[in-house]
Amino acid sequence: MIRYALTRLGLLLLGLAVASALIFLSLRVLPGDVAQLIAGTQSTPEQVAALRESLGLDVPLWTQYFDWIGGLLRGDLGTSLVTGESVAAELLDKARVTVPLAVMSLTVALLIGIPLGVLSALGRRTAGGTALSVASQALAAVPVVWAGMLLVVVFAVWLGWLPPQGFPRAGWNDPGAAFRALVLPALTIGVVEGAMLLRFVRSATLQALGQDYVRTAAAKGLTRTRALVRHGLPNVGLSVITVLGLQIAGIIVGAVVIEQLFTLPGVGRMLVADVAARDLPKVQGELLALTGFVLLVGFVVDLVHRLIDPRQREAS
Amino acid sequence: MLRRTALATSALLIGALLLTSCTGGNTASAPTGAVDPDATLTVGLSLEPSNLDIRHTSGAALEQALVDNVYQGLVTRNGDDDNAIVPALATEWTISPDGLTYTFTLREGVTFHDGTAMTADDVVTSLQTAKDDATIQNSADLANVASIASPDASTVVLTLAQPNIDFLFTLTGRAGLVFKNADTTNFQTAANGTGPFTVASRNTGQSLTLARYDGYWGDKAGVAEVVLDYIPDRSAAVNAAVSGDLDVALEVDPELQSQVEGTGNFTIDTGLTTDKATLAFNNQRAPLTDQRVREALRLAIDHDALVETVIAAQTLNGPIPPLDPGYEDLTGSVSYNPDRARDLLAQAGAENLELTLTIPNVYPTSIPTFLVSSFADVGVTLKVESVDFSTWLQDVYTNHDYDLSFVRHVEARDFGNWANPTYYFGYDNATVQSLYAQAQATTDEQQSSDLLAEAARIVDDEDAADWLLLATPRTAVGTNVANFPKNSLNVRLPLAGVTVSSE
Repeated sequence: MIRYALTRLGLLLLGLAVASALIFLSLRVLPGDVAQLIAGTQSTPEQVAALRESLGLDVPLWTQYFDWIGGLLRGDLGTSLVTGESVAAELLDKARVTVPLAVMSLTVALLIGIPLGVLSALGRRTAGGTALSVASQALAAVPVVWAGMLLVVVFAVWLGWLPPQGFPRAGWNDPGAAFRALVLPALTIGVVEGAMLLRFVRSATLQALGQDYVRTAAAKGLTRTRALVRHGLPNVGLSVITVLGLQIAGIIVGAVVIEQLFTLPGVGRMLVADVAARDLPKVQGELLALTGFVLLVGFVVDLVHRLIDPRQREAS
Repeated sequence: MLRRTALATSALLIGALLLTSCTGGNTASAPTGAVDPDATLTVGLSLEPSNLDIRHTSGAALEQALVDNVYQGLVTRNGDDDNAIVPALATEWTISPDGLTYTFTLREGVTFHDGTAMTADDVVTSLQTAKDDATIQNSADLANVASIASPDASTVVLTLAQPNIDFLFTLTGRAGLVFKNADTTNFQTAANGTGPFTVASRNTGQSLTLARYDGYWGDKAGVAEVVLDYIPDRSAAVNAAVSGDLDVALEVDPELQSQVEGTGNFTIDTGLTTDKATLAFNNQRAPLTDQRVREALRLAIDHDALVETVIAAQTLNGPIPPLDPGYEDLTGSVSYNPDRARDLLAQAGAENLELTLTIPNVYPTSIPTFLVSSFADVGVTLKVESVDFSTWLQDVYTNHDYDLSFVRHVEARDFGNWANPTYYFGYDNATVQSLYAQAQATTDEQQSSDLLAEAARIVDDEDAADWLLLATPRTAVGTNVANFPKNSLNVRLPLAGVTVSSE
């Protein structure tokens, strides 16, 4: 197990290294630069050049890259060229919106996906089960932005129950308002991700229902449902954990879009603004942190999977 | 002669300033309740500054938030009085008859927000640094300064190499701001100025909070705290105003104006700006090098209809807006005439023309859509390329790689761009350049104005660009708010005199 964990950790670090190079290079393809943006439309080329020099943008690319990596190894994500604040501090600050949003979205997705997925599998020959299945298929195909706008129209504009966008100025010092501000965005992501999860849980459950051990249990006198709950669902749970890893990545991507739509001051909106401002050192740090997070989720999922599934442990 | 004029004007202006700050009568409806000195004024605006470093970072949002409120120069301008130049850290000044020597008397009792007293040395060092360091915004404005000296503790003397009629005005800009000598403040994240407000806190992506500075040299600010609430979405801003989260909302979307008025808690003010929506033609690229083509494009645009589409705007015929010297109403110089436009294009052999409009994606699509259909009507296919601002800066501003471009030129007194052939307009006319140089070098304001007007007429006659419109944004001012400024709010938002009444 320890050897497996170490190998897996090695893969994680390798993934991060590759990601850092890809992120660094792909951002350099963008047109425009931060010095020109800071200098503005009344500047001369000489002024822009002087600014580039003072920002350290005139050194060769590979030096910039290794400076960045060197900083990372010392645990320093760097400093924003535009705001002058530490990238790590700004990430932590914005995470106060994004992390609760992701947790709430995941909760919604789980509340929708798991029970409805099992129900839909159990009742697959009934009208309700079919309706669920069709609805989930439709919902899973809905673009997050569209779902968000629809929810805003219904719950914010028509019913006036929830704020259409924004985050309270006081932030989490006003917990009620902060929570309310995140409800619609979390529902938006959660419903779409939940629909995808529902489809997955449904097919995993159907598969479990067809397994010999469920049939054997049913033959021994358990009802189909009880057999499924006792023997089938633990196996369904295992595969759901794997899918959840992917879904967390999906939720993070969804958050980038949704924060824009709901003007939430989170990591996603900061990232979009920083790309527009060509604050590349900061974008690099943010993208690497997000990539690192997603890779870490994958790592944890794999370890958990191995810990709780005896078959995999024996296989190694 | 000039010295007397300058003194007389400044004396008048001080009087006017005192009047407005004491009587508070420039908003339409007088607030009912008693003025609350402990109030917080919440102002909703759209464009957030990326950091607080006003010396090094461009963008109108920074000036709007910080100049006059947090940072001050020797002089400033009063947008509500035709952008007249008024005293700030200097109480008075004289200009030598040859227009070369500017002598400023410094105000006494000025302190920075950290408590240290402002000295003549701070003023000299600030201006000298701004002149020498090219990375400081508008540093070029001081290139013409030959020397900066302080003969005694309350006087600063600036000597120019050549007379420049706009010099005092440029001192109202960023290059003229006064900072503490050898200040160790991190200016990107904090501030240390002499203004009526200090920067209390900043919440990136959301708001900037200013607090009254009790050690201020002048009348203390009318409110204890100002929250500048940055709401990029227009309808969200209106929602916030309607639900009572804002005392004032800037740049109210005209289509949503009735919602704000419907509450009965706001009055709508319309102000002037120098915010020119310019449709730039690449004067160096065929077929736009042909004046007939440029004129045809201008004739194809129904400016009155465009103003009706945009609403928060008025027509602007000519490169100089009403708040700037040299303004002339050139209405009628180019009147909507699609038939004539088609003729001109035929004459120029430019039928079935295809052009690209490069426009930053921060602007609403109403204007490009309007242009596409206007140009289609005269046989010009317009392709709209919407890019982010950084790409616009590189392609259009730096590399001049474009046919047509649209941006808003918000700066005051920026006619010089038409006298600079290397600017992205690519407009090169020796007469205009010479007229502009003369207008700058004269010491007579009227003469300078006349020369600028003459140059502007040539630029307009030659169809160097089309001035689509002048932004006249609407401000929703709460009925509990008094003395809110009106004009040029996109670049200056002086809030010291504003008061808020309790209900």
